[in-house]
Amino acid sequence: MLSISNLKKSFQLTGEIFLPVVSIEDFVLEKKQMVAIHGTSGSGKTTFLHLIAGLLTPDEGSIQLQGVDLQELKESRRDFLRATSIGYIFQSFHLLQSCTALENLLIAMSFAGQVNVDGAKEMLDRVGLKDRMNHKPGEMSVGQQQRVALARALINKPTLLLADEPTGNLDAGNAESSLNLMKELCISSGASMLVVSHDSNVINSFDHQINWVELNQVSKGEPCK
Amino acid sequence: MQMIRPGLGIIFFLALRGLQKHAFSSFLAILTIAMAVGLFLSTWKINDDTRLAFHHSAGGFDAVLGARGSKLQIILNSLFHLESSPGNLSWEQYEIIQNTKGVKEAYPIAVGDNYLGYRLVGTDPELLTSHQWKPGQGYEVEEGGRVFSPLAKEAVVGSLVAQKVGLQVGDQFHPYHGLNFKEENKHQDIYVVVGILEATGTPADRVIWVPIKGIQLMDGHDKSMSHSLSAVLLSLKGAAGFSLDMKYNRQGNVATLAWPVASTLSSFFDKFTWFQKILELVAGMIAVVGTLIIVLTLRSSMNERRREFAILRCLGASRQSVSTVIISQSLILACLGVMAGFFVHFLIHIFVSHIIQENTGVLMSGFSVGFMGVYVFCAVLFVGLASGILPARQVYKADLSENLKHHT
Repeated sequence: MLSISNLKKSFQLTGEIFLPVVSIEDFVLEKKQMVAIHGTSGSGKTTFLHLIAGLLTPDEGSIQLQGVDLQELKESRRDFLRATSIGYIFQSFHLLQSCTALENLLIAMSFAGQVNVDGAKEMLDRVGLKDRMNHKPGEMSVGQQQRVALARALINKPTLLLADEPTGNLDAGNAESSLNLMKELCISSGASMLVVSHDSNVINSFDHQINWVELNQVSKGEPCK
Repeated sequence: MQMIRPGLGIIFFLALRGLQKHAFSSFLAILTIAMAVGLFLSTWKINDDTRLAFHHSAGGFDAVLGARGSKLQIILNSLFHLESSPGNLSWEQYEIIQNTKGVKEAYPIAVGDNYLGYRLVGTDPELLTSHQWKPGQGYEVEEGGRVFSPLAKEAVVGSLVAQKVGLQVGDQFHPYHGLNFKEENKHQDIYVVVGILEATGTPADRVIWVPIKGIQLMDGHDKSMSHSLSAVLLSLKGAAGFSLDMKYNRQGNVATLAWPVASTLSSFFDKFTWFQKILELVAGMIAVVGTLIIVLTLRSSMNERRREFAILRCLGASRQSVSTVIISQSLILACLGVMAGFFVHFLIHIFVSHIIQENTGVLMSGFSVGFMGVYVFCAVLFVGLASGILPARQVYKADLSENLKHHT
């Protein structure tokens, strides 16, 4: 489903000095598989997810999603693929503050080319926000915002759900229920899930766990020319 | 919510939300564009409309014979009932020009009295019964009235005067000496209103028509003036204008022929061209301010919305889509501004039309934006588009990952 090989990404510091952040020889995520990557903050996990989502372009290597090499796609096709096939949950949710919960979902649907108001309402109902769909994020609790983010990430029935510290802003109780809901929705929609986190509670709730330090070949943040 | 549709729908929705979020600066941008458009269109269009309205309000006359003096003063005094008369003509001069070859119509007029500030114009009743003030259209008296008799102290009141001072058929009034109303200058003569003129939208509406003998023989007037008149209104045939111009203006020195009326009026309006230029300059400066406000609105909106645009990109929006949101915002501001500008123009038109009609009787044509309105619309949209390009380019080139990171 997701196949990565020889992936490299570095960022320019000054002049010709570059900081390597990601270097992954081989990574595969099967269909419907749920994998958690464990690593410390600032070690490049978010960059890795951004590369998979096509938000960043790698320096080298290939990322294949459902057999399609992202680097071979034009940017506009990559954007459309992101809208239709990838759901992304951020630690700080990244909801559109000026829009209601329902509008947040509809906007995500519009970029995938199909808007279904009833479908969006049904999804919000599934995450327990039937009565809050016309509220803006600022009018909701953190746990409710997280559920809007989850609903938005899954509204276009993606094949891959990426979650970056998905429970980072939640208390223990909310974190557990949120993770369970995320898994449940992924199972029912048949999506694969890739979670990155530094929280051992999150990591331990997954059968498949990967240590980021073992996956990422970058030696500890030393700049190179 | 209905607006959230793939393609333009979502872009329009996001653009409107952005403007809502910056409602005050958006309002300022729209207001300044509206002022600039309204002022520019009004300056240009009202000048043109006024010229046209004055040309159409010459009462169907080609020339005016008056005392030696300014052609413009003779026309303004005789046809538009403004300003004072440069002097008097003798009755013999009227008879001479009346019988000159090429003169189709000649109507003597005498002025010098008023009623509550509205001029009394003494003339031949045939002016109201036979003359056509525009092709195929003569003066008409409202039902129940008639035109005055040439030797009676009777009056036909223009529609605007009737409306303003409330004169009706059968009413009596004392004229006042002079062109400006002064209570102590009351004449002893009593005139009876015998008719009200139907509205014409010309200066005829704001005067009171009386027999010329009435003015000449008015109680208190100098007896030596009983055979004099202020001017002769002329309709000409063929090339009579050239020969009369030669006779009166180049060879003679007793009278002035104000001919042709149209070019004399044009020279009058040309005197105000400098004022129009100043107003256009002011409109241009306001337009620059409006453009700057659009740019500032978009830039501040863009700075605050970096994160929002990054989120939209994460949701699958293309670079083109998010930069089109910015362009749409500037186009919406420009579009609303120009629409509001047309409304400002409409208000100015109503105000100016009212002032002109009150003071001259000349009725301006109905409101229209004309082809200049289309040009202005396109120009403002172009300016809106241009002012959105730079902020849109910044959004287009924005580092997505960086914008997400800064706000997490």
